Amino acid sequence: MIATLQNGRHGPLALGALLLVAWPLVFSTPYDLRVFTLAGIYALLVLGYQFVFGHAGALALTQGAFFGLGAYVTGILGARYGQGFLVTFPLSIALPVLLAAVVAAPVLRLETHYFALATLGIAQVLLLVCLLAEPLTGGANGIPGVPGVEILGLSLPRGWPLLLFVWAWVIAGAFVAQRITGGLYGKAFQLMRASATAAQCVGIDIARLRLRTFLFSAAYAGAAGALFVHTLRVVSPEALEFHVMVAVLAMTVVGGRTRIAGAIVGAVLLVHLPEWFRFLESYYLIAYGVALLAMIVLAPDGLVGELERRWPQAPETLPTAEPLPPRSKLIPREPLLAVSDLRKRFGGVRAVDGVSLALKRGEIVGLIGPNGSGKTTLINVITGLLQAENGAVRFAGEPLGGLRPDTIARRGLARTFQNLDLVDELTAIDNVAVARAAFEGAGLRQALLAVGRDPTLERARRQARFLLERIGLGEEMGRPCGDLPHGTRRRVEIARALALQPSLLLLDEPAAGLSESEQADLARRVEILRDDGITMLIVEHNMPFLMPLADRLICLNVGRVIANGTPEEVQADPRVIEAYLGRRGEQA
Amino acid sequence: MRRFIALAVGFLTLAPVSVVAADASIPVLVPITGFLSLEGTSQRNGALLAIKNAPAGVRVTYDVSDTGVAPETAVNALERAISRGPVTAVVASMLGTQMLAMLPVAQENKVPLVTVSGTASITERNNPYVFRFFPGDAVVKAAHIRYAAEELRARRAALIYQTTAYGQSGRQHLQENAHKAGIEIVFEESIEVAVRDMSPVLGKAKAANPDVLLLHLHAPSTALVIRQAAAMNLRLPIVSGSAMHQPPTAALLEPAELAGVCAETNASPVSGGTPEADRFLEQYRREFNAEPDGFALGQYDGVMMVLEAVAKGASNAAAVTQALSTGSHKGVAMTYRSDGKGNMAHSAVIVCYDGQTRVPRIAKRYDEILAVTR
Repeated sequence: MIATLQNGRHGPLALGALLLVAWPLVFSTPYDLRVFTLAGIYALLVLGYQFVFGHAGALALTQGAFFGLGAYVTGILGARYGQGFLVTFPLSIALPVLLAAVVAAPVLRLETHYFALATLGIAQVLLLVCLLAEPLTGGANGIPGVPGVEILGLSLPRGWPLLLFVWAWVIAGAFVAQRITGGLYGKAFQLMRASATAAQCVGIDIARLRLRTFLFSAAYAGAAGALFVHTLRVVSPEALEFHVMVAVLAMTVVGGRTRIAGAIVGAVLLVHLPEWFRFLESYYLIAYGVALLAMIVLAPDGLVGELERRWPQAPETLPTAEPLPPRSKLIPREPLLAVSDLRKRFGGVRAVDGVSLALKRGEIVGLIGPNGSGKTTLINVITGLLQAENGAVRFAGEPLGGLRPDTIARRGLARTFQNLDLVDELTAIDNVAVARAAFEGAGLRQALLAVGRDPTLERARRQARFLLERIGLGEEMGRPCGDLPHGTRRRVEIARALALQPSLLLLDEPAAGLSESEQADLARRVEILRDDGITMLIVEHNMPFLMPLADRLICLNVGRVIANGTPEEVQADPRVIEAYLGRRGEQA
Repeated sequence: MRRFIALAVGFLTLAPVSVVAADASIPVLVPITGFLSLEGTSQRNGALLAIKNAPAGVRVTYDVSDTGVAPETAVNALERAISRGPVTAVVASMLGTQMLAMLPVAQENKVPLVTVSGTASITERNNPYVFRFFPGDAVVKAAHIRYAAEELRARRAALIYQTTAYGQSGRQHLQENAHKAGIEIVFEESIEVAVRDMSPVLGKAKAANPDVLLLHLHAPSTALVIRQAAAMNLRLPIVSGSAMHQPPTAALLEPAELAGVCAETNASPVSGGTPEADRFLEQYRREFNAEPDGFALGQYDGVMMVLEAVAKGASNAAAVTQALSTGSHKGVAMTYRSDGKGNMAHSAVIVCYDGQTRVPRIAKRYDEILAVTR
C-alpha cells in the first residue's frame, strides 16, 4: 500500500469551496450573479494562462488575443449566421488553438522578453485585423445582438442558469488542468519552468511540452471568450485589447501562477475588487491599484501560495522503495564514448579546440584543467546542449551529432551540473521522480485517462526513493529541495541522473561545496556506481577527491587535451604543471 | 354621482401637471477614466448640473459610476444600478460599444438610457429605451460636409479618422455625404488613438492635393493633427469633428495654430449666444471650475427633459420612457424630440476659430438638417 503524499490543507480548501458556493447564494441580485458569472469566465481564462505562464514559465502576451478570437468566432457565427452553441463553442476553441499552432513555430523558439514582444505583436496584429475587417467583424463597433447560449433549441437565460453553466465549465476546466498538471507529466512542467536545461538533460522534450502549454492556453482562452460573448451579447475590439491581457496576468499573479485554486481566487477577487471600490468614484482605480500592489508585495507567490506558506503541508509519508525495472543493455561496443577532433568556439574564443578522447566501459575518468580550459563546454557539447562546429561524438558506437539533449539523455547519457539545477519547491523525491517521466510513459493521454491518483507518479516516487536511499538519503527526501543542505542537494542531483539508468554519467564538479566527510561519502557512492557498471567522466578541481577515484585523468588547457594517462602520469606531466602553475620563468 | 365623477376625472387630469414632491433615481454611468475621460467628465458634469437644477419638488437620488472603456464594465455598472432599486432613467456612457452592450439589459429591465453618444448604430436596433441627446453622425456629418462644400467651396477632401467605433462610424457618414455633395475624397487614412507623430499621414494627405482637410478624431489626436499641420504650414482649411469644439482640446493648442480650423458640434456653450446658454455657462464654470462643451450641454438638456417629465408626473421608468418617446423639450442647445428611434437632437452647428482666441464663434447653424418630420 502506497502512503499518500498529499495530505494537507484539505480544511482551507473545503472552506474556500464552501465560500465559493455560498457567495452567489448570499449575494444574489442580477448584478451579483452577473459579476460572479464574469468571474467564472475569467477563472477559466486564467486556468488556461497558468499553463503557459505558470507551468511553462513563459510570459506569453497572447492570452487576451486568443480570448478575443474565441469571442469573435462565437459573435460572428452566432449573430450573423444563427449558429447555436454546439457549433460555435467547439469552433471558438478550435480557431485559437489553430492560430496558436501556426504562430508557435516562430515564437516558441524565442526566450524571455523576445518571446513576450513577439506574442504581443501577434495580439496587436489580431486587433488590427479585427478593426479593419469591418464587413466580417463589424470593425470598431463590433457585433451586437449575439444570442445567449442555445443548445438544441433550449436557450439559457441570464442569471442563475448562465452562472451555473459557466461555472460548470470552470469545474471541468479545473479538473482537466488538475489531471494534466497534478501527475508525473505535471512534474515535468515544473522542472521545465525551473530549468529548461535540466529538463532536457533528464530526457524531457521541452519543445513539445512548451507547444502543448501554448495550445492548452489557447483552448481555455477560446472557451472563455465564447462564454464571455454569450454573457455580454456583444463582441467588440475591446475583447482583444491589452487590458484583457493585463487583467489575466494580474489575476494569475495574485491568485498563484500554478495553483488551480489560485486561478479561481485571483479571478473572483480581481473581478469583484473594482466593483467593491465603485463608491470611490474617480478614485476607485487608485484604490484598486494600491490593493493589487499590496497583494503582490505581501504575497509574491500568490494568495494561495501565501496560504500554503502559512499552513504548510504536513510532512509527506514516504512511499516504499521499488527498484527500477531492468533497462535493455546497450550493445557492448568499445569505447563507450568516443570523441574525435571536437571543436567549439564562442566568437573568437576556441573553447574546445580539436579534443579527442575515449572512455572505456566501467572506467572512471577525471577531466581536469584550469578554469576556462573548456571542461564544461566539452560536457555541454557531448550532451547536446551545444552544437560542435566540427568533430564527432559517438556513444556506444552511435553518433550523437545533431541529436537533442533529451534524446541523448534517453539513450543513457546522464549528467549533473556545476551549479545545482533542482526545483526548490519540489521535494527531493519528486525531483528524482520527474526524471522517470520519459520512461514511465508520462504524457498527455496518460494524464487525462488516469483514474484517481496518477499511477506513473506513484511508481516513479517509489523508484526515486530506491535511488535516493542508494546514495544515502533518509527521511529528508520528503522535504523540499530548497530546504536541504548543499551536500544533500548534490546527492539528489546525482540520484536524478541515475533515474535515467545511464551507461555513462558525466559529473560536473560533484565535490564542490562539500565537507570532507561528505566528499568521502560521495567517493564511496561513486565507487559503488562503478561496481554497478556505470562509466563516469568527472570534471573536478578537487584533486584529493578525484585522485583516488579516477582510473585515468585527462587534462585540458585552452580547449586542448594536453595530458591523458594514469593520475600519477598526468600529475607529473610538466605541461599539466605548467598549465596550473605557469612556467618557472614566469613565476620568477 | 356625476359631480363626483367629474371631480375625480378633473383631479386625475390635473394630477400630472400639478407639481408635488416626486422622487427620481438617475444613476450616472459614464467613462471617467480611459481615452474618453474628457468627454465622460463633461457628461457627468452636465448630468449633475441638471440634477442640481431639478424642477421644484423633484428629489433626485443618483450616484456616479465610472464605466471605463470596457463594455462589461458598463454593463456591470448598469446591472448594479438596477439591482439597487427602481431606476427612473440612466445617464449612459457615450462610448458606442458600451451602449451596444447596455442596450439589451436596458430593454430587459425597461429602463431608458439617456446618452450623448453620437456613434455606432445605437438607435438602429429597434430598442425603445435609448435616447440620444447629441446629434448622431447622420446629422453632424451632414453639417460637416455641407459646410465644407457650401461655405468653403471644397471639391477635393482629405479625410483622417480614428480606428475606433467613433471614427469608423463618422467616416461612413462623411463618405456618403461627400458623395452627395460632389466632394471627392482624394485621400483617407485611419489612425490609432496611440499614434503621436502625425507628420507621415499629413504628408500623404498634402501630397493628394486636397482643398480641405476633414478630421474625425478623438480630442488628443485632433489636437496633435492640428498642431503638426500648423507646424508643417499645410495651408489647408480644416473642418474637424466635434472633439475640436471642446475647450480642453483648444487649450492644448495656441490660438495661432487654430486659425482656419472649424468643427462641427451640437452646440458651443463657451461661444454664448442666448441668455439660457450664458446662464448655463456661468453656472457650469462656478460649479466645476471648468469650461463646458457640447457634450455637457447635451447631457444637461437630456437629464432636464427626464426631470421635467418626472415633475409632470412620470413616476417611473415606463412613464419617463413614454415622455421621452413622445414629448418634446426646449433645451438650452436646441429643441429635442424623438424621431421614433431615440434620436432626440436634429440640429448641428459649425464653430470656427479666428486665430486670435481659443473661443470659437458659431459660423453656421443647421436646424432639422435631415428634415425630421415628427
